[in-house]
Amino acid sequence: MTTLTGIRRRSIRRARQRDGLAFYGFISPWLLGTAILTVFPLGYALYVSFTAWDGISPYKPWVGLANYAEVLTSPDTWSALSKTLLVVVIVVPATIIGSLVLAIWLNEKVRGRVVFRTIIFLPAIVPAVAAALIWKVIFDKDSGSVNRILATFGIHPVSWVTGDNAFITLLVVMLWGIGAGIIIYLAALQTVDVEQLEAAKVDGAGPLTTFRHVTLPAISPILLFQTVLTLITTLQVFIPALLLAPVGVTQTVSSVPVANRLYMVDVWSQFFQYSRYGYGSAMIIVFVIVILILTAVVFRVGGRSVYYAVDPDQREDRR
Amino acid sequence: MTARASRREHHPVKFTLLLVVSIALFLPFAALAIKGLTPGSELANNSWFPTNWRWQNIPDALNQIPYVRFAAISTFIAVVYSGLTMISSALVGYGFARLRGPGKRALFAVLIAMMIVPQIVTLIPTYLLFSQFGLIGTYWPWVLWGTAGAPYAIFLYRQFYASFPKELEEAARLDGAGRLRTFFSIFIPLSRPLMVTSFVISFNATWGDYVAPTLFLNADNTTLAAGIATGYYNSHGILLPNLLAAGSFIYILPVVVLFLFAQRSYVRGFVSSGIK
Repeated sequence: MTTLTGIRRRSIRRARQRDGLAFYGFISPWLLGTAILTVFPLGYALYVSFTAWDGISPYKPWVGLANYAEVLTSPDTWSALSKTLLVVVIVVPATIIGSLVLAIWLNEKVRGRVVFRTIIFLPAIVPAVAAALIWKVIFDKDSGSVNRILATFGIHPVSWVTGDNAFITLLVVMLWGIGAGIIIYLAALQTVDVEQLEAAKVDGAGPLTTFRHVTLPAISPILLFQTVLTLITTLQVFIPALLLAPVGVTQTVSSVPVANRLYMVDVWSQFFQYSRYGYGSAMIIVFVIVILILTAVVFRVGGRSVYYAVDPDQREDRR
Repeated sequence: MTARASRREHHPVKFTLLLVVSIALFLPFAALAIKGLTPGSELANNSWFPTNWRWQNIPDALNQIPYVRFAAISTFIAVVYSGLTMISSALVGYGFARLRGPGKRALFAVLIAMMIVPQIVTLIPTYLLFSQFGLIGTYWPWVLWGTAGAPYAIFLYRQFYASFPKELEEAARLDGAGRLRTFFSIFIPLSRPLMVTSFVISFNATWGDYVAPTLFLNADNTTLAAGIATGYYNSHGILLPNLLAAGSFIYILPVVVLFLFAQRSYVRGFVSSGIK
């Protein structure tokens, strides 16, 4: 009896071990990859951030927290951060709400919806490099279409990639991809319970009420997921800012107008213009922390409304 | 018959709004095409269309930079990365969906967290590290990134594989198939739409990536993204808008065509992964 259970226990344990081995075997590419390609580099950047390394010399003079002190007290940091946040505040809601509204329209049986869906999603799959270059051509002072349209109203050619105008151009480039979320929202809208929609209609609810109480709760998790992703990618935007600059020479960020000096543009210039690898690394670490805090806030705020809307029992209690 | 017709024409307002948005979003493509065929001498003219369409702009744009070589490098990197990431993400997704192991929950949380870790932010540190190991100027970074899989793809595969009944593996186990064989002979063929989605997303991301090639490759052996961004200036550093337009137009064609062809599977991949 005891030996039997002993044998069984041992064989269960052995089976578990085999399961565990298989699990780790299957996930090993990702596990090793993350360790080597994400965790280790970030750790290395953390180390470099405590030094005044110039990127070339074999010595990395230790400076302790001096880089961090400079990052936090430099007016450049705060100006770059506030510009980045301004982009986020404009682009993220516009993209999330714009995509959602377009997806809701496309979800109806409108004529030509497949063609509309394709055209609206198309700018979103155009790589950021190409988007920036396309708009650079369109906003070109001498030959661009925008100034041509303005000329018909008698307005003299405007320089769109310098001064404060550059920020408007940057926003246009980013808002071109306003349909980026439609595919995923259309997929999410398919999962909304048809019976609930019918029930709402029977109860005499208008389209807005139905949307708020049936559709929105059902798609709120995917909405939160999209918001977080869009927030993170928008925070890191810098390619359009870099490539819209009047002179498009690689790794020369000096031609980026002040209005477009986003946080990552600043980071890029610290590394590749000023060779301040230690300071640049400190900027990166600070930015990671900023991004984590903002993401946590969105999850906190958004997560609560997702739960609130999704859980039917919760609502029953409230009534 | 009237039911179908009337249901289709029910939304004149939405139709009009969609039409307006579509035209607005499509106009830049049209402007790009027109600009790409405008002769340099007519660039400053105040007319909508050139009087002479200059098709010679296309070969000129392809000769201004080593276009074909850059395109070949872009294709090579994108295919290698996307192929590797498609397979390895499926493997990892399968592990998370169908296998048990100690620490699985915690590791899945790490995976989700990795979706949040900003990529560009890790790229510069990775560059610092790779330059120490002499990996700059080689294609190894893309092989490594591909092998590691992509968190978003792993997540989609995991959601998809978790939806299958347990009997699927038990039947295979009775036939004496090992875990790897079960995975390759049963799960991989089932996940074709998702593989298309994952391949298209990775291909587009790699084809469009400007930062990694700029950092990790030499300027004369780089990808098209890095090449067109800096190549269309004359010897005085003045922008050549018509050649840039032609070059950009050809550059985005593969991405657009790939999407148009894969659109159906692409959309299905999102739906089948059970986004809820």
